[in-house]
Amino acid sequence: MLAAAPSLAGAIARVPTCALWGLETALVTVEVDVASGLPAFQIVGLPDTAVSEARERVRAAIRNSGFEFPLRRVVVNLAPAERRKEGTGFDLAIALGVLRASGQLRRDPEALCLGELALDGGVRAVRGVMPRVRCALAAGSRDVLCADENAAEAAAAGGTAFGVASLREAVAHVAGDARRPPAAVPAPGPPPRPAVDLADIAGHGTPKRALEIAAAGGHSLLLVGPPGTGKTLLARALPSLLPPLDPDEAVIASALHSVAGLVDPAHPLLAARPFRAPHHTASHHALVGGGSPPRPGEVSLAHTGALFLDELAEFSPAVLETLREPLEEGAITISRAGASATYPARVTLVAAMNPCPCGHAGDSAAQCTCLPDAVERYHARLSGPLLDRIDLRVHVPRIAYEELRAEGRERSAAVRERVAAARERMGARLRGTGRRTNAELTVGEIRRHCVLGPDADGLAAEAMRSRRLSSRGVHRVLRVARTVADLAGADGIAAEHVGLALLLRGP
Amino acid sequence: MIVLRRDDGRYPARLRVLSRPPETIWVEGDPGACAGPAVAVVGTRRMTGYGERVAREIAMACAAAGVVVVSGFAQGIDTAAHRGALDGGGRTVAVLGESIPVFLATVRGRRRPLVPRVRGSGALVSQFAPPVGPRAWTFVERNATIAALADAAVIVEAGVWSGALITAADARRLRRALFAVPGPLGSAASVGTNALIATGVARALTSPSDVLDAVGARAVTPAGPERDPILAALRDGPLGVDELAARTRIPLPGLSARLAPLLVRGTLRLLGDGRVGLVS
Repeated sequence: MLAAAPSLAGAIARVPTCALWGLETALVTVEVDVASGLPAFQIVGLPDTAVSEARERVRAAIRNSGFEFPLRRVVVNLAPAERRKEGTGFDLAIALGVLRASGQLRRDPEALCLGELALDGGVRAVRGVMPRVRCALAAGSRDVLCADENAAEAAAAGGTAFGVASLREAVAHVAGDARRPPAAVPAPGPPPRPAVDLADIAGHGTPKRALEIAAAGGHSLLLVGPPGTGKTLLARALPSLLPPLDPDEAVIASALHSVAGLVDPAHPLLAARPFRAPHHTASHHALVGGGSPPRPGEVSLAHTGALFLDELAEFSPAVLETLREPLEEGAITISRAGASATYPARVTLVAAMNPCPCGHAGDSAAQCTCLPDAVERYHARLSGPLLDRIDLRVHVPRIAYEELRAEGRERSAAVRERVAAARERMGARLRGTGRRTNAELTVGEIRRHCVLGPDADGLAAEAMRSRRLSSRGVHRVLRVARTVADLAGADGIAAEHVGLALLLRGP
Repeated sequence: MIVLRRDDGRYPARLRVLSRPPETIWVEGDPGACAGPAVAVVGTRRMTGYGERVAREIAMACAAAGVVVVSGFAQGIDTAAHRGALDGGGRTVAVLGESIPVFLATVRGRRRPLVPRVRGSGALVSQFAPPVGPRAWTFVERNATIAALADAAVIVEAGVWSGALITAADARRLRRALFAVPGPLGSAASVGTNALIATGVARALTSPSDVLDAVGARAVTPAGPERDPILAALRDGPLGVDELAARTRIPLPGLSARLAPLLVRGTLRLLGDGRVGLVS
């Protein structure tokens, strides 16, 4: 009898959970000690404000679930204690720990516990379930106890997920009184149905070609043209050209959405490459991520997919400046006092803008009313850091009525096949580097893989000699030319490939 | 900067026909550029590709015939005229609507690199004492000076309210030969010039040789019409690649192969909005 009663000395409960910093995760053990002394409830182990506030939520949830909050000295430690813990996801683990240490729960919770508590004892969903479950899986633990709303996401991440609606259900499940059934692994989302098909767009042969090159090689693309000529429509057709997501890409992209709290509960795993189109009033926090705790921005949410900046000239130049690092590194590190997070951000950038402040420079249907210097200033606003990283620039003109009626437009599916074949060629070339597209070729790889045919060599040499191209510009042209050749299924780069790359390069 | 008073021998004689010639003019460059046969080529700042080409062609014809091109160094047509004269190896005089130091300190954009070239070939001229800045009235007075300094004036493009129409009125008052370039109907930049022609105030300019005849210079045979369909299509301003393909009837693959060498050699250039244009 004495052995069965919880002894005061050994009343430490341990509940596994997981902490999240950006995409980085670490298993955390919630240790709860209930000892004699004046009634107190303390959380140690570098909790942030949201974690510290768990005390009030946990106390109320325990009481309102029909349990008793021990009128003794309760100390909760989040081990390892050296790193700051953020968010509300520890509530469930702390509550179960308190109940276990005070003898109201008969068994140790062995599943990973993730969930926020409501004052009435309900369990609420938290963000970032997917990366945390994957962290637990890597450590060899499969079971996850979480809110009902998170169960599908946890199951999609590969865990055996038990969804609960309340603390009572959680206790009944852990004690074995009323086991919850494991959540079904959600069916993969329906095949993506892109909003715009290339065949919906009349004319615009060169812009479509540029779109295909951008989709295949991951090159950044700027569409310039008068208002109403179809720039936005063209950009929105890009998702229909992108190749399907690889499973490992899907996991990372979905994890980023999970961290941002943007998971579709019915289909937690992304089925299509993301396409993000932030408004031009977006702050740099919204665009590249930030805040405290740091959250991923649009450029990371678009990871593996495309980021579309419409009305590029309307974005604040300072905000655009912050895009430089992610576009160059394929990742962004956000540092805040006491916390830093790195998010991947490998995107195909598509931007659109008017050619001048009034929008009608080069418009066949309307006359531009801008002064020449004003047009120059308009372009200068953008020049430098960001435009330097744009590989393709193409004019989107107003099209004639006859073209609107022309038949025989190519469908996106046909282009996507060419894109997928080109991506395969790139993948074979870059195997083992972690990079996938020609846009990411290093200078050494350019030398190795961008072998020019004799006539193309002459053209490139002339371009170099004329000093109209910097060496960075030459590398950019060669990367694009490599993609054009890949789309044509050619091993060597011919003059026509370099020619098109030069033509779409921009000034 | 050279300061020329009215009693100075280098003071441009042609200015004396004005009812109130400026007491003093300031010159950067060669005051001698204000002598000899000269044609004023002026027009709106909001020019079209057509206006830019015509201004350039007139200025280049003047340069080839040894005629000085006088203009106002404003954005648009004026700058195209100065640039055409310089590219044609001729001399050009820029008459400013503000004092020279103020202009030099504030000029930006595409005009800035032209300043040393204008100074080197001809002169920057101002009738305003430093530190007078640009004002509405200074441009009105400046326009009369442009008309006086040239033997003939060509208005290339002018909207309804363009200041170039003031220069036209001044040229007429001073009995200078006055030409206007006919423009497309419906083009806002040609309403003023077409009206000058319609009312008989100005003669229609059908070729640069019209104005050269009027100042007694002989037009050097101009180059024949452009043979290359690509270059011909781009004469009236830059085009997007698709527009160029439609205009020349050369489909895209072949077109890019033909454009690339022209781009590399600097015959053509790419604009900030992705269009292709002639290098001028």
